Amino acid sequence: MKVAKTGEGYFKLVASYKKETGGWAWIIHRISGLALTAYIYVHIYALSTLTKGKEAFDAEMALFQKPLFKVLEWLLFAFVLAHTLNGIRIVLVDFGKGSFYHKKAFAYLMIIGIIAFLVMGYFIFSHEIHQAFAGLL
Amino acid sequence: MKVTFRIFRFNPETDEKPYYKDYEVNADPKDRVVDVLHYIKNEIDGTLTFRRSCLHGICGSDGMRINGKNMLACSILLQDLGYTDRDKTYKKPIVVEPLPGMPIIKDLVTDFTDFWKKYEAVKPYLITKTPPPERERLQSPEDVELIMEASKCILCACCTTSCPSTWSNDNYLGPAALLKAYRFIFDSRDEATDERLDIIDTPDGVWRCHTIFHCVQACPKEINITWHISQLKKKLVEREI
Ligand code: SF4
Ligand code: SF4
Ligand code: FES
Repeated sequence: MKVAKTGEGYFKLVASYKKETGGWAWIIHRISGLALTAYIYVHIYALSTLTKGKEAFDAEMALFQKPLFKVLEWLLFAFVLAHTLNGIRIVLVDFGKGSFYHKKAFAYLMIIGIIAFLVMGYFIFSHEIHQAFAGLL
Repeated sequence: MKVTFRIFRFNPETDEKPYYKDYEVNADPKDRVVDVLHYIKNEIDGTLTFRRSCLHGICGSDGMRINGKNMLACSILLQDLGYTDRDKTYKKPIVVEPLPGMPIIKDLVTDFTDFWKKYEAVKPYLITKTPPPERERLQSPEDVELIMEASKCILCACCTTSCPSTWSNDNYLGPAALLKAYRFIFDSRDEATDERLDIIDTPDGVWRCHTIFHCVQACPKEINITWHISQLKKKLVEREI
């Protein structure tokens, strides 16, 4: 008797299998985890300009004040939020009774996350927001 | 109603690659998926192969992937899948595939060899070391309650084959075997707790469970498998400290 695997790869299975809260939370956790790991490297690399003296570092800091970097920073905060908040959920599942209310926990934590994300957006872009509304006030 | 069944077909002995074949059938919303599979096999295409036995959700032999999700073909009505209108012709087909990631014997019949190996690995039987008492080894109702849910498992493999950790790692014990480990580790009569804890305390044991809940979603017996795995994780941590 011949037996064969279908050769459906891992990613195809992940993509095609019907996902509910747990599946999406897991995917968000992987993506944000990878993004944060990548960020750590970028961060260390960016700090390495410190070895090139004050001017070089100040120039770099000025670059980070540009709107594009502000948006990126805001995005970074989103990843931090997603990873931390879902991390709380996983701890509840593994060491509490989270398996019984993990869907609700995910919903509430993500609502908290979205609010925190918007508030942070206000702080990051407060300068731009004030400018935009300056004419109206 | 008219509905199309899009069924995974593959005979490793003759086919180079799997393919999907469409069957148009007249069905009732209250038909089970397995009823329609029988109809197709008996009336349209005798070469279609699938496994089933009890037809009542007890033997665990007809686990398959239906519309993207693992379930028992005998325990799901077409109306549960959203096909509810008797007079309608549904455009969206019902996709029937074998349990994901499993080796295929033919069509929807998969090879359970690995699944049983993992099941055997956790020693799925009562182990005692003390001499047997005069009569049977008694349990209190509370003792039974602790392992009641875990005892309901019918070993259909819907959970293990739905788990992304299984897909990425052939050696992962998987939810069904871990649930069985729980069933004996938390059995008040069993005396091989440490032995079994050692077996599941590996990177291919409980620690590969990333709490994705696919298993819970899939289990036809509605067992909260992830909760049982979390109890095992807790027990292992307690053992360390
Ligand atoms: S909860 Fe654990 S065992 Fe269940 S599907 Fe997820 S990773 Fe697999
Ligand atoms: S735990 Fe549920 S899904 Fe897994 S083998 Fe047992 S009955 Fe099937
Ligand atoms: S045929 Fe026995 S469980 Fe479905």
